[in-house]
Amino acid sequence: MSALGRPSPFGPDRSSGRRDSVLALFSVVVSLVFLLGPASWGNTAGSLVRASVLRPFLWLQAEAVAARTSRARFAVLESERDSVAFTAQQVPALQVENERLRRLLGLAQRLTTPYIASEVLRQPELADGRTLLVAAGADRGVRPFDPVVSPEGLVGVVQTVEPTTSIVLTWAHPEFRVSTFVGDGAVAGIIAAAELPLGSNPMLELRGIPYRDTVPIGSAVLSSGLGGVYPKGIPVGLVAGVLREQPGWERIYLVRPAANLAAVSHVLILRGGPGTPVDAAFQPGAAP
Amino acid sequence: MSARESRLRLGLVFLLLLVLHFYVRPRFGDSRAAPDFLAMAVLLFALRSTPGDAAVVGLCTGLLVDALTPGRFGANALAHSVVGYLASWGRAVFFADNIVVTAGFFAVGTWLRNLLVLLASGTGGADLLTQALVWSTLQALSTAACGTVLVVVLRGWLDIRILE
Repeated sequence: MSALGRPSPFGPDRSSGRRDSVLALFSVVVSLVFLLGPASWGNTAGSLVRASVLRPFLWLQAEAVAARTSRARFAVLESERDSVAFTAQQVPALQVENERLRRLLGLAQRLTTPYIASEVLRQPELADGRTLLVAAGADRGVRPFDPVVSPEGLVGVVQTVEPTTSIVLTWAHPEFRVSTFVGDGAVAGIIAAAELPLGSNPMLELRGIPYRDTVPIGSAVLSSGLGGVYPKGIPVGLVAGVLREQPGWERIYLVRPAANLAAVSHVLILRGGPGTPVDAAFQPGAAP
Repeated sequence: MSARESRLRLGLVFLLLLVLHFYVRPRFGDSRAAPDFLAMAVLLFALRSTPGDAAVVGLCTGLLVDALTPGRFGANALAHSVVGYLASWGRAVFFADNIVVTAGFFAVGTWLRNLLVLLASGTGGADLLTQALVWSTLQALSTAACGTVLVVVLRGWLDIRILE
């Protein structure tokens, strides 16, 4: 019986007894022998225990550690895979930008007028597209009313010049105007941003075309060089159809812009003045 | 339940704790504060056996641990033997069958085992204080939590009385 009166499951008395004392003393003595004896005894005993009793448990532990390591390696692999996937997502955009830069470089080589190459600093604003901020300002010689072009055609005109940046009024701006001609120059008109229903793609309209003149769909619209701002020959767009007409008086044509403002990342700011034609640089078959 | 059947069940639980110690414990982050299933096994055995048997089981368990950490062979054997003997003796003399006291039994037993191992292996100075006061305390608490859950879960199977 124990001191609390509980019957012991294995023996007559748990708190005393010669057997308990002997066993406890034996345990302590064995421990002290290993603790105070030569280290080789402990090493030998440890080696025997590891090779026999502990062998399956050490295998278990190795499995547990391997599982934990595998999870960690899997997490690393997952993060690496995500990084690669993220990088791969950027590849098409980089290819497009590379192609645009090559085309811009080709245009720059064909231009005979002075120009300033600049990056477009995009702003995530609702009105982004009507004006663009470019990374070239007065420090690089940009002046107000300098024409701004991309490899595809006319982007706009410099509106405001600051020391290191400039604001470009693009063709999508309601105040944008450019004097143009169609095809061989037989028909001339004024290009402005088209007023279309909300949600439509931004387009241009060609105004002031006499009712008697007919403009074929698909005709190229080029800047005429009149007005003292834009040199002659910059592609503005392609005629897409008749937008509206005043019978007997005027037709207004819808024009698909040559330069896609959403895709413009680099531009050339022309510095040659309106008197220097640039049409040769924008010829479809012009060699770079 | 006969004494033979009781020993068999206790042996199975002891084996289960060995498996937990080697298979589950490595999955814990910082093993210094993780519950020590071997200490738990010795203390659980001490709950259901005589002091002499508990001392021998403590010796065997300590030798297993010493084989894994052969820096000072015998330190764990001594610590587990002493704790096993004292736990069984103290359980019979002092402890009531109460869940809080049982948790304290596991906590104090684990902490005392750690202290004895530190002293027997020659740890001293600031390291002894840090190990004894911080890590040993944390491990004692985690071991007490696990041990109490184990006792509550297996009380019917091991015929352990717990008064709530």
